[in-house]
Amino acid sequence: MTESNYDEIMQLLCDRLSSLTNSNAQITPETNLISQLSIDSIKLLNLIMEIEDTFDVSIPINALTDVQTVRELVDLVYKIKSAS
Amino acid sequence: MSSTITKLNAPLTQAFDFQPSSELQLMPTPTLNTLTQQLAGFNTLTSALEYAAEGVTGYNFYDARGNLRSILPYSALRHNARTLARRLSGFNLPRGSRVAIVADTSPEFVKLFFACRYAGLVPFAMPIPVNLGSHVIYVQQLRGMLESSQASIALANIDYFGFLEEAVAGVTHIQWAGTPGKLSELPELDVELQPNHPDETAYLQFTSGSTRTPRGVIITERALMCNLQGIVRNGLEIKPDDRSASWLPFYHDMGLVGLVLAPMVTQISVDYLATRDFAIRPLQWLRLISRNRCTVAFSQPFGLKLCTLRVRESDLKELDLSSWRAAGIGAEMIRPETLRNFAEKFASAGFDENAFLPCYGLAESTLAVTFSKIGEGCKSIQVDSKTLIDKRMAVRLQADGRKQNEFVNCGQPLPGHIVKIVDEDGQQLSEMMVGSVLVHGDSVMTGYYNNPEETNKALKSGNWLDTGDIGFLFEGDLYITGRRTDVIIVNGRNIRAQDIEELAEQQPEVRSREASAFGVNDEDGTTTIVLVIECRLTSVAERQSLTTRLQQLVYMAFGVNCVVELVPPHTLPRTSSGKLSRFAARQGYIQRTNLTGQLSFVESGDR
Repeated sequence: MTESNYDEIMQLLCDRLSSLTNSNAQITPETNLISQLSIDSIKLLNLIMEIEDTFDVSIPINALTDVQTVRELVDLVYKIKSAS
Repeated sequence: MSSTITKLNAPLTQAFDFQPSSELQLMPTPTLNTLTQQLAGFNTLTSALEYAAEGVTGYNFYDARGNLRSILPYSALRHNARTLARRLSGFNLPRGSRVAIVADTSPEFVKLFFACRYAGLVPFAMPIPVNLGSHVIYVQQLRGMLESSQASIALANIDYFGFLEEAVAGVTHIQWAGTPGKLSELPELDVELQPNHPDETAYLQFTSGSTRTPRGVIITERALMCNLQGIVRNGLEIKPDDRSASWLPFYHDMGLVGLVLAPMVTQISVDYLATRDFAIRPLQWLRLISRNRCTVAFSQPFGLKLCTLRVRESDLKELDLSSWRAAGIGAEMIRPETLRNFAEKFASAGFDENAFLPCYGLAESTLAVTFSKIGEGCKSIQVDSKTLIDKRMAVRLQADGRKQNEFVNCGQPLPGHIVKIVDEDGQQLSEMMVGSVLVHGDSVMTGYYNNPEETNKALKSGNWLDTGDIGFLFEGDLYITGRRTDVIIVNGRNIRAQDIEELAEQQPEVRSREASAFGVNDEDGTTTIVLVIECRLTSVAERQSLTTRLQQLVYMAFGVNCVVELVPPHTLPRTSSGKLSRFAARQGYIQRTNLTGQLSFVESGDR
């Protein structure tokens, strides 16, 4: 996968997160999903479903335990996508 | 053979939205067995499995896309479990030693669970991590259970082994930790497997995510067999053509006892979907029921809500839920509204609202306490709100226009069990009076493992279990009106207030007994957790840092958001003995924030 794919994932996730959380705040790679966006479990599940459907990947539940920021989530999706 | 039976015998083989591959076509275990059905009545789990293994039914595991991934007929389970038991025998552990197993929805977990029983060991299921950023707290939770249970062996599938390895570091009782694969490399000892005794502990069931004071419920073979018999004979009236489908986690009592062990002691087949896969795509569960013609499937109200939220009109056309005769609902307060919405939505897909089967239970009574009458749907009564608050009495609504509360009929206790309602002094109350729900019977636990303090709080004299729930009896049927303030239920998760307070108290800025957690409800029944902290910090930045950190910690540990309120010292109300009163703390918060209609009648104080 190329660098542009990484950026695409980043762009898409930032867009989705901002509509999912109705947040006016600028979402950056460093935005904390828990403390800044208050992603609750239902929103999280929606987001994962969308990621899985859009990128045709399966996000293992154990990997989410090390995700707190937008960048960490993008890194994870990118890693899984590259390995598939 | 009639076409219906042929269909029942060959349920879904492959994919819902995926073409079967030509090479390897896995067949699920059939619905109809070759064996005469025996409805529980066994002495022990292993004797039940010995019988079930003579038939052709068993467990089936499906992936997120609905493809059958693996099957585990009871015959193969017996064989595998006995082999693993002989490998476990190589550790030379005393009978009754505990074995910790991280319980993902996998054949490996079930094999290990039964292997422990064949080897005379006591298994217990540990949760899998489900929350964002929960790595550190999850490892602490595992360690809490390993220490409290004094487990000798700990196992996890490869996906979760990393966490387990971190958790066992420094835990003194652990002799060996590994994956099922590693266990299979160990030699099989040539030993005679000893039968178990009904008085022996069958397993432990952990009920709290606390890192400091986990509570492992001790369930004996006798309690388990008693509860299973009540469930399958009286609660569900299981028949030879029944088949179950489940997404409930194996580490919860409803998932383990209700949908793993109950099907086995009646030799019926089950189709499993991992909890995560259900949560992301809830309709996969309904598709399994539809395609495999399942008849028995349980859920918390929250699971039904997810299905109702996610279904599209196009989905309804492909679903046929007419086979579903027992839609068991339990594990949290049941709001009639949730059931009505589900029934309305899925009526066109053949769902029969008479299939709703409200029930009441808790891990401390193995699983089930009461069942409503099967096939009669959800019954409820409307009572006058004012009398309920003023007199703690349920009076059926006489006139229209008065404010009312509706409560679901959870039915009567299983045979051999008694439910009574008592006041704060432990005096038994008459029908329609609201008080604490106490249970007596053979399904009740013998205590929490290695935790006499919590055991004494829960088990009253004469072996009456204080459930912690509030309700009333009417014509012998139990109605739950609420929980005491020590348990908060959010999105189907039971969270102990004490566990949240404990997390807060681990912060250097928070002293012990200066944190109080409770839930407040919106109009639509959504619960928000509130954490009130007595705080001496004056700098805005420090206060913000504490608030953010607490919200983050609660999220990581429990997967829910919470409101943090910092108040001056001595704001939180205390009882005469100096204990914090969550009930009073909640009333105080409600008054400060001007929430209307929240001053609640359901709680009677703190345990």
